Amino acid sequence: MDSWFKKNIDYTTVTVVLLLLIIGIASVYSATYDAGASVYFNRQLIWGGIGFLLMFSIMFIPFRTLQLMSYPLYGISIMILLIVLAAGKVVAGSRSWFGVAGFGLQPSEIVKVTTILALASYLSNRTVNLGRLKHIAVAFGIVIVPVVLILLQPDMGTAIIYIVMLVVILYWAGVSNFLLITLIAPVAAAIATLSGTTAFVIVLACTVLMLVLLRENRLFSALVFSGTVFMGASVQYIFGKLAPHQQKRILTFLNPDADPLGAGYNVIQSKIAIGSGGLFGKGYLLGTQTQLNFLPAQWTDFIYCVPSEEFGFVGAFAILSLLTILLIRGVQTASTVKSRYASIVAIGVVAAIAVHTVINIGMAMGIMPVIGVPLPFMSYGGSNLLTNMVMAGLLLNVYANRKEY
Amino acid sequence: MENTESPKRRIAFIVAIGFMFIVLLGRLIQLQFLYQDVYGKKSEENSIRQIARDPIRGYIYDRRGTLLVDNRPSYTVTITPSEFKEKTIPYLAQVLGVDTAFVHERLRKGRIYNRFAPMKVKRDIDFPTLSLIEENRDKLSGVDYQIETKRFYPTKAKATHLFGYTKEISDAQLQELGSEYRLGDLIGATGLEAAYEHNLRGQKGYEFLTVNAKGQLLGAYNEGKSDFLAKEGSDLILAIDADLQALAESLLADKRGAVVAIDPNNGGVLALVSKPDYDLAKFGSVTSPDVWNALLTDSTKPMFNRATMTRYPPGSTFKMVLAAAALQEEVISPNYRIQCNGAFHYGTRVFKDHIAHGSTDPIESIQRSCNVFYYTVMLKTGLERWTRYGEEFGFGQPTGIDILEETAGLLPSEEYFDRIYGKGRWTQGYLVSLAIGQGEVGVSPLQMACYAAALGTRGIWHQPHVVERIRDKESGQTVEVKTETRNIELSDRVWNIIHEGMYRCVNEPGGTALIAKVRGVKVAGKTGTAQNPHGKDHAWFIGYAPVEHPKIAICVLVENAGFGGVIAAPIASMCIEQYLYGELIRNNANQPIVAAKDEQKQVEADQE
Repeated sequence: MDSWFKKNIDYTTVTVVLLLLIIGIASVYSATYDAGASVYFNRQLIWGGIGFLLMFSIMFIPFRTLQLMSYPLYGISIMILLIVLAAGKVVAGSRSWFGVAGFGLQPSEIVKVTTILALASYLSNRTVNLGRLKHIAVAFGIVIVPVVLILLQPDMGTAIIYIVMLVVILYWAGVSNFLLITLIAPVAAAIATLSGTTAFVIVLACTVLMLVLLRENRLFSALVFSGTVFMGASVQYIFGKLAPHQQKRILTFLNPDADPLGAGYNVIQSKIAIGSGGLFGKGYLLGTQTQLNFLPAQWTDFIYCVPSEEFGFVGAFAILSLLTILLIRGVQTASTVKSRYASIVAIGVVAAIAVHTVINIGMAMGIMPVIGVPLPFMSYGGSNLLTNMVMAGLLLNVYANRKEY
Repeated sequence: MENTESPKRRIAFIVAIGFMFIVLLGRLIQLQFLYQDVYGKKSEENSIRQIARDPIRGYIYDRRGTLLVDNRPSYTVTITPSEFKEKTIPYLAQVLGVDTAFVHERLRKGRIYNRFAPMKVKRDIDFPTLSLIEENRDKLSGVDYQIETKRFYPTKAKATHLFGYTKEISDAQLQELGSEYRLGDLIGATGLEAAYEHNLRGQKGYEFLTVNAKGQLLGAYNEGKSDFLAKEGSDLILAIDADLQALAESLLADKRGAVVAIDPNNGGVLALVSKPDYDLAKFGSVTSPDVWNALLTDSTKPMFNRATMTRYPPGSTFKMVLAAAALQEEVISPNYRIQCNGAFHYGTRVFKDHIAHGSTDPIESIQRSCNVFYYTVMLKTGLERWTRYGEEFGFGQPTGIDILEETAGLLPSEEYFDRIYGKGRWTQGYLVSLAIGQGEVGVSPLQMACYAAALGTRGIWHQPHVVERIRDKESGQTVEVKTETRNIELSDRVWNIIHEGMYRCVNEPGGTALIAKVRGVKVAGKTGTAQNPHGKDHAWFIGYAPVEHPKIAICVLVENAGFGGVIAAPIASMCIEQYLYGELIRNNANQPIVAAKDEQKQVEADQE
């Protein structure tokens, strides 16, 4: 028995998750500290405990069972999303909350997991051929359904994460690079054109370079390129037609510094918090930005500022490193497992955690647009934390079953 | 595994994650190492509020240590923009009795400056208003009051033009003076308050408080160790004699004119009065527009400092300048005599004297103010010398007194006439009026008082100054105000003649200022009348006492009072008495004027 644990538990992942969990709870404690522990801290502590148990429970679910349950779980989660849309609570402008026995639940979080499972299940099916447009379309459909439902809430950030996850998973599953570019280039062009001509030109140049390197059929290449140009141009055209306040909203989204009292406020305060931390920080519970509440609801999306301010570079670097270790460990697991289903699940989890990390930390440091995305394992919130722990559980499960087909 | 996960893709993933790590790490290093100073400073500014504490303005004392300008507490209503609710503006405006637009404007400016700092809205509110605000605190969030000081004048000496007033700093001044002031601060506007603003103001103190993001105060920053207290403004100790100032003001009550008395030994201003004046107490903090308009449109111009700003021809008081020039340059000898038959002929024009003085020498010319003597001597002496000696006595230039407003007056020279009339287009005939201090010559009462002092001290001309010493409250050290002194070089022979003439003018029959006498003190003086084409002439008197060793030199100007000997001389006389005895010793102080027979005659006489 002893040797089973030795062989089949991924201690690296467990250790990293545990450390992130502890730092996260300590940060929530600091961010909500007011002459003592707050209700946020107590709740996060409970969620953390439950999550830890959940992670190990998931690890022991037989592999087959998981695969068989993928579609039913996906179906159930879609239904829950529909119910939320019809009857959910509105929090911060989004109808994404679900009141259950006094606890708020955010189903769109856990739907990430079921979508990954469903997608993995579909793509690992032997009859599925990624060279066929029809099958690609089905894979798209699996992701688009929750995305549309989430966009209706509306929750832009979560929707973006699904799209990125899909692209990453498709790439891992073996979709041709050409198809990938066909998917990515127009979206990138659309965003770039709003940031300025230079960005647009850079995206076009990259597209051309990729197309040339891939040496696909010239006609298709030309089509993809013209599609990209058309996308950029039409976005620019539509943007020009918008009312000034709508334009401003979009530009603020892309460049928060332009609106220091609105959306930009958080980013400015967040940069001040991180920047003023220096090498060793201001000391635990002594960060002025944190303790004086310059960041509204800092314990959720801007939790990264807390250790960055109070422990400085040392703390910020440690978190970044832990997350990176976790991701690389995930990629290694995904590439060593024998089962294609397990491999895609693992890479889906890596993709989800990576996107959350990049957007959240990038946003806190002012190099990503402000979209409400939590930092994995650290941000306050039960649904998010439990979802992260489930994902960690999936990684452990895959590792434990790495030799199975 | 039929596998799609080629090692190539695995490497691509590792590279992508590595790239992500590098980018985020790079940004982290940029923020926490390269920009740490910038953000560190910003974070301090964020969480630490600086609250300015106004210093107590310096006090003003007279030469004997009597407190002349005091501070009394006053309540100033403030609003803190971050906590203030705009919908309460109409109510607040009503309570304070101001326009809603005014409150809006203050709020706007306050927001620009610092939305967490209290912005002064109205000064010097009364107790009923204060209690109304206290009672309605819950309705008026962000509204508070500060205890400030306002000026209070405890003695009878009003000294309106001398002390001056403070007012709220203007936008233009704020731009110019920069960081030492902020909107709503008081700044000296006139008189000593303006001239010594730098000394009186003191230095603002600052308290540092920790606040949260809502601007709510959480307590002292760094346990108050970083605070620094306001530094009290320095006190001014004046040369002014409060009793003399008060007496001079009462003597000029209901008149228009000025009195300037100075200590001939150092140029210290003993009294400086300009009438009519106004009530400084109404300027103590907030001036109502009604008061302003009334003062600005008043035809008697109470805001105008007649003691230093007005410019009238000096009349006969100026004869000593010509006498000094003619005698010192030896144009005439001390024994020089003319025969005055009551008129002087120049070309076709006739210049009259008031009476026929008969044979007149230099001393008698001063004693009896003989015009014909000076008409004659002026043509011999010439404009160039007259102007030079006028300049020696300080005319045609500012005296350099330490209150900011003063006129240079007008002392014409050859260049001046050339400029006004054209070269060669003016004749010696223009000089005839100047000989008796009429026409194109203008002097201020202050210049005249300095002139009297220089005459009394045989040519020592001191720069006049109101403030003798400045006392620093912190160090307790007192610094003397530095002034300049120069000598007017005339031979004793000349001084003797002038002194004798001025002494006789007050003390001997035939003198024009006999009612300037003071019991037990030898007074010397000279009357003058400034011709006024617009109405009754203005009366001048200058003098000094005691003649042996002058302690006071004085100039009195009374507008539209006719001959100088009747109205101006007795005022000077009582001032001298007050200063030298410390009180009035004459029996009937209320009716000092007993016009001598000779003087009555002169009333019409000097008015050619």
